[in-house]
Amino acid sequence: MEFKVVAYRFNPEIDEKPYYKEYTVQDYPGMTVLNALIKIKSELDGTLSFRRSCRSAICGSCAMKINGITKLACKTQVSLEIDKFGIIKVEPLANMPVIRDLIVDQEVFFDKIKAIKPYLLGQREDETHNSFRALKEGEKITQPVYDKSEFKNLTGNEDTPNCILCECCYSECGGVVGNKDYLGPAALAKLYRYSEDPRDNDKNGSRLVNGSMPNGIWDCVHCQACEQFCPKGISPVKSIVKLHEKAIKNSITFSPGSKHVVSIARSIAETGRLDEIKVAFESGGITGLLNDLPVAFGAGLKGKIPPLRLKLIKDMEDIRLAYKELDLEDKL
Amino acid sequence: MITYAYYPGCVAQESGKELDNATKFIASRLGINLIPMPEASCCGGGVIDGFDRNLKLFINGRTLALAEKEGLDIMTICNTCTLTLSEVNEELINNPESLEKTNEYLAKIGLKYTGKVKVKHILYAVRDDIGFNKLKEKAVKSLKGIKIAPFYGCHILRPSNVVKFDDAENPQGFEELIKALGGEPVSYVRRTKCCGFQTILVNESTSTSLAGNAIYEAQEKNADVMVTPCPLCHLSLDTYQTVAAKSINKKLSLPILHLPQLIGIALGADYAEMGFSRHNVSVRGLMAKVRQNDI
Repeated sequence: MEFKVVAYRFNPEIDEKPYYKEYTVQDYPGMTVLNALIKIKSELDGTLSFRRSCRSAICGSCAMKINGITKLACKTQVSLEIDKFGIIKVEPLANMPVIRDLIVDQEVFFDKIKAIKPYLLGQREDETHNSFRALKEGEKITQPVYDKSEFKNLTGNEDTPNCILCECCYSECGGVVGNKDYLGPAALAKLYRYSEDPRDNDKNGSRLVNGSMPNGIWDCVHCQACEQFCPKGISPVKSIVKLHEKAIKNSITFSPGSKHVVSIARSIAETGRLDEIKVAFESGGITGLLNDLPVAFGAGLKGKIPPLRLKLIKDMEDIRLAYKELDLEDKL
Repeated sequence: MITYAYYPGCVAQESGKELDNATKFIASRLGINLIPMPEASCCGGGVIDGFDRNLKLFINGRTLALAEKEGLDIMTICNTCTLTLSEVNEELINNPESLEKTNEYLAKIGLKYTGKVKVKHILYAVRDDIGFNKLKEKAVKSLKGIKIAPFYGCHILRPSNVVKFDDAENPQGFEELIKALGGEPVSYVRRTKCCGFQTILVNESTSTSLAGNAIYEAQEKNADVMVTPCPLCHLSLDTYQTVAAKSINKKLSLPILHLPQLIGIALGADYAEMGFSRHNVSVRGLMAKVRQNDI
């Protein structure tokens, strides 16, 4: 079967603006999009530029937009794409500047990974062996012993340590589209990974405090794109939500995002419902309220105002019992 | 007649009352019997697991158990409620430990959940239980000549191993519905992207730029109207449209309809019945266009 590949082309040295170029390729059984691109590069047009390396979905180099969705070219079958879209349209990753054709500048992405300190902080107090020195002849290294259960959130096939830094999630992230300074799913999932590592000695909770700053964990828009499009089956958004839970459990609630979540929890504990007015007020405080006044006023003029006092749901005591059973009353 | 336990969610009972009314209007015309759930609580707005993951299981497990007690499936009209209830349902069905823990709580309030309930959003309830052909037969106004931009939003599509209604990469349910009503679906990239609502009270500029760019793209594709299956998206796209326009520095003026309102128009509902006076962006131009389209 013959099929068409439409590739995004841009060489800033000679092109004034990006354009698309069409190639016709002959399919073979099991052909991947990366196979097709390599065929184009070797047989049709040697100038087409794209990153690739392992061809086995482990190096993450060949991430690109395929028919509008970020995928690994080496893990994407041509036949499935043709069945669904009738064509293979390839474009560079989003949220990063293009260097040439399908190659993007990854610097911003890796700066954000570095920003969360992707290494173990300090030493645990029980690790007296950790002082660096040369071993004497015949001396054995004593490894610290950790219980397997201490790593329980880090060792599954779909847990965050399996991230290959391919940038698929970063390219699809709604939070980054809306705010280029947002750290993004990969970095924040990594933050979670280190915050869960029993070897990390983050005594004063600096990971959670720094993560709660603007552009951090509370700026996630919950669009679920990172989970949907991760080629390794990792869910960064679930890691981010676990960081939210961890921050609130540790009373790190200075950010508007955490106030927002606590306010919703409080509203449900009081009425069984989400009280739109109260939550708006408690999330943003006075500044937020003043900021939202024109919107609220406009909506009010149209009669689009929520009731000032909400009716409790029936059997409200059931909900209160849920909070009591989970010992959550003092967190409200 | 098909019967559902009706879970409108909080916004449709508060600032988005017009959505609840439009849903009841089309349900009565299409033969969907909606049983109210006065005991049901808020699902947690898509963020309650950030407070406590077990609370999410308990309060939503309770809602599922209430429906199961009546032998009914749940119909939702909000993307975020759909995802949250579906997530909890999947967790309780697939994780015996979570089910046991939740049932210990439910036993104390005289309930039990066994995993029999299905959660369905109204878009897919209309597709699967009524059928778009039957919907077409019931329509009294055609949406012919009207360019309609479907805005799916996130939580009705992703993650697709939990909300399994449509193809997350290239969904078609909304387009098929629009075509069945005689309308012309507008094809645009941001139809499956995020409206930004979840950060509207936390980081407004992120939120409004997402909403603004989606509206702008649809407008550039000559859409007459944008339609959303989610009241949270509606708040971002309609209520905040003026702010969104400022944040992306573009002129925006696109009426935004709730999905049941679009169906309502085709079924002959008038301006007042659909509560259009509550919208920020006027729907009058659209209604004038539809008025000429008697079938």
